Amino acid sequence: MSKEDRNATERIKAMREQQAAAERRRRTLLVGGIVALVVAAIVGIAIAVQSGRNDVAVGSTAPAGVTADNGILRGKDSAPVSVVVYEDFQCPVCRAFEQNVGPTVTSYVDKGTVQIEYRPIAFLDSASTTNYSSRALATAACALDDGGPSVFQKLHDLLYVNQPGEGTAGLSDAQLADLAAQAGANKAAVTSCQSAGTYDGWVSRATDQASKDGVNGTPTYFVDGKQVTFSQGQDPKVTLTKLIDAAAGSR
Amino acid sequence: MPHALGRALPWLGLLARLVVGGVWIAAGALKLPDPAESVRAVRAYRLLPEAFVPSVGYGLPALEIAIGLLLVAGLATRVAAGVSALLFVLFIVGIASAWGRGLQIDCGCFGGGGYAADAASKYPWEVARDTGLLLGSVLLLIWPRTRVGLDGWLLPDVRSVEG
Repeated sequence: MSKEDRNATERIKAMREQQAAAERRRRTLLVGGIVALVVAAIVGIAIAVQSGRNDVAVGSTAPAGVTADNGILRGKDSAPVSVVVYEDFQCPVCRAFEQNVGPTVTSYVDKGTVQIEYRPIAFLDSASTTNYSSRALATAACALDDGGPSVFQKLHDLLYVNQPGEGTAGLSDAQLADLAAQAGANKAAVTSCQSAGTYDGWVSRATDQASKDGVNGTPTYFVDGKQVTFSQGQDPKVTLTKLIDAAAGSR
Repeated sequence: MPHALGRALPWLGLLARLVVGGVWIAAGALKLPDPAESVRAVRAYRLLPEAFVPSVGYGLPALEIAIGLLLVAGLATRVAAGVSALLFVLFIVGIASAWGRGLQIDCGCFGGGGYAADAASKYPWEVARDTGLLLGSVLLLIWPRTRVGLDGWLLPDVRSVEG
């Protein structure tokens, strides 16, 4: 091969490499651009679809007898101390608290010292295979609407006694309706309320509102508007008793 | 670059793609079934204005899955790795900030979220895990050309065209 030939060959080679590099850049930009557009579209669609699935239904009806804060009151309006508790019927710690501090709170309510507001929420749907958390609260809302606060209170206690374990299917809607009937609600009314999904929107709304109010877990207690911190070393009953006594004494 | 490292790098890159991509797919898929929970998990960090919280809660899981699929397929690897690295930086900042402010929350990384009693003991591990995944993403950002990927097929190497 002559010197000119070699030079020509190298020039051709360099040209080819340039062309290949340009082609590669073109394709990289094309692929990157298309992928970015597709991903943006997917995320946009996901936002639309997921927000549709989580329709908090601003205008959805609340059951009769709930407060503006989606709570159910128990005790006299004249009671000097207010206790607020956020709870979930699927939450095992709520059940333990209900057994431990429940009787104490009840005695304060009976004495007229405390008015308690239950603010039930349903954020533990992933702890059952059947969204038990939401179904139990929807049933409680149906029973409240049908029978009023005293029926709700009885069902509330029954739901904790019959609380299903985490990771199970929980109680069926029919079993929940049976408990509602046991608490004094009209079973037929509760069943039709369940199947119509009358308070499903309210359940989502109450749960969403709790999260917006900074409540990230259950049980969360407030005494006179101040969140209660339960420490590991102290019996929750003692903590709550001290706070309620202090609040009552300061009146 | 030493020859041996040069040969090992594309395989290391493949491993990084599969591990980081696999984690993204799992993390996103576990969040998809419960959009309300996803929104609450974002809100629990108390970092974003409420106006942005729902969109992030709804959109982030889909973005995570998309990034994961791109990494596993080896398609637009550099772009995907860049977004992946950015997200891990944001997550590390978010978790560290929750830790620093004394919030007791589940990171919501793989679904869940909200209050967690043992949160403080989990934060170090979560930050360490995300840092490892961040390093894998940065590796792919710098050397996106790895073994067995769609990029290699769509964007033939200069050398292979030459050969």
